[in-house]
Amino acid sequence: MDLTVRQMDAEEFQRQRQEVLGQWQTGKDVFFEEAVAYQKSLPKSKIFAEKLAEGKEKGITYAQPRAGVALINEHIELLRFLQDEGGADFLTSTIDSYTRQNRYTEAQAGIEESAMIGRSMLNGFPAVNHGVAACRQVVESVQVPVQVRHGTPDARLLAEITIAGGFTDYEGGGISYNIPYSKDVSIESTIKYWQYVDRLIGLYEEQGVKINREPFGPLTGTLVPPAISHAVAVIEGILAVAQGVRSLTLGYGQCGNLIQDVAALHTLPVLAEEYLVKLGLPKVMITTVFHQWMGGFPQDEAKAFGVISWGAVTAALGKASKVIVKTPHEALGIPTKEANAAGIRTTKQILTMLKDQSLPMTPELALEEDMILAETRAILDRVLELGEGDAAVGTVRAFQAGVIDVPFAPSRYNAGKILPARDTTGAIRLLDFGNIPFDETIKEFHRERIAQRGRDEDRDPSFQMVIDDIYAIGKGMLVGRPRG
Amino acid sequence: MEQKTVVLGVIGSDVHAVGNRILDFAFTQAGFKVINIGVLATQEEFIHSAIETNADALLVSSLYGHGEMDCRGLREKCQETGIGKIIMYVGGNLVVGKQDFESVKERFLAMGFDRVYPPGTLPDTPIEDLRNDLGMTID
Repeated sequence: MDLTVRQMDAEEFQRQRQEVLGQWQTGKDVFFEEAVAYQKSLPKSKIFAEKLAEGKEKGITYAQPRAGVALINEHIELLRFLQDEGGADFLTSTIDSYTRQNRYTEAQAGIEESAMIGRSMLNGFPAVNHGVAACRQVVESVQVPVQVRHGTPDARLLAEITIAGGFTDYEGGGISYNIPYSKDVSIESTIKYWQYVDRLIGLYEEQGVKINREPFGPLTGTLVPPAISHAVAVIEGILAVAQGVRSLTLGYGQCGNLIQDVAALHTLPVLAEEYLVKLGLPKVMITTVFHQWMGGFPQDEAKAFGVISWGAVTAALGKASKVIVKTPHEALGIPTKEANAAGIRTTKQILTMLKDQSLPMTPELALEEDMILAETRAILDRVLELGEGDAAVGTVRAFQAGVIDVPFAPSRYNAGKILPARDTTGAIRLLDFGNIPFDETIKEFHRERIAQRGRDEDRDPSFQMVIDDIYAIGKGMLVGRPRG
Repeated sequence: MEQKTVVLGVIGSDVHAVGNRILDFAFTQAGFKVINIGVLATQEEFIHSAIETNADALLVSSLYGHGEMDCRGLREKCQETGIGKIIMYVGGNLVVGKQDFESVKERFLAMGFDRVYPPGTLPDTPIEDLRNDLGMTID
């Protein structure tokens, strides 16, 4: 099958389906018509797209935690706790890292050892091993919509099982779940895997079942310039809609500078709508998700709450549809349920306090928006040019050429030539442009902003600045100022 | 003094790449020859790279909580392949959940690691330790 943005044909889908459902024994319990009927039996209050539409209309920013443990009963207990004690508006089943690499035998060993020693040995919920009936048990045990969040390059079987299992939202995409999450998997193959997932959701949509799709916005979560994550989000939106997805939540990870972050939230749906129209694709519901700080966290819990709160403020003032919440245990790995609930309560306090406020348009905000629009269009137009109008083909060529380049990514299919750094106000700029197709005006803007920081710190911009930026938050700063 | 070689990698199904890039940079700056096998590294990859390059130490990172399962048996595999005495360091978020670091450290020392580092350790600490453990006196 040649790579193309066009809708996958029915025969090819069925051929792959046979293979996918045979990848682990729980695949045999997936029956499409029965799953459609089950999804249709869910109350509106458990359907992600419905609640998102309601929030969009009323201007509400919802809060959603991440959460997942190895065993079913403990997982249900965790989700109920986050719903009842944390006040979560949406819930998540975060999938463990063995499942993400399709290592179901190792996930099984993790389940067994967890049961034996009485604590979770897995960093998430192994949904494939547990199967359709167990997923439905999870969905039936809570009152709010539940989403699958993971980081799986080939998530076809996971999608089949969790959507048949009653989950109504699925995170990921052929770029965003490849480049930050794998080393040796080609972009061509992950785009195809995710076209299968999107086509599956398209088939549900055609039967009247609403499943929301969310490309993973923050990518590597460390110093990613908005234009790069926006370009990826828009491309994954195009790829999904082309397969029949009708409800999209586009994501963006907090950079830390309020003006740049709010500008990013404002421009993301504008760009997505613009390119869907440009490519003749149907109009779909577009909402946004803001990710609280995805980089390293302070170990001190009080300081961590400070970081969480700054993310909550930005989500509220930028009017994101929902915010993904961090916890005071972030620096140490997987949080307890109490710490997780505390992160949600902190966030919700701010969201409700700020719900009637927004950031007014100022010359600084307008400039930041104009820059993000121009930079993202420069990348997207070059992608489409490279693909001769085909976004899927263009994406593969763009990564080869370094036209899209994600900082700090583990994948060898990513050029890794750009170098981001903060300017003196903490906004993320490019220190080295690699092959990102920015024109001279844009490049001059970045150079000037970083040069200003260099003057303020009395040093030449270099990789040391980047390292200082990465460690800065642990030292209570956003911009990594020189020591001493 | 001859240049010392370290094999650096993130073990198991872990894809955390940022710290790996920083450690690579910091150890290289400190004068070590860094063989970086990157993320998603298996025990076998660590050992093969160490044998091939005649490395002096294995630097194992794990950030995602499965470290306990992924690191078991690494020392034994080193012994079977004839590099049983190689220095082994491990660091990161090694287990699921907030656990007392002293007990985590003991578990990893019992697995045969020479040093165990908690989350948030800056590269200077293992660099200094490695210089001592390799008997590299600073002239």
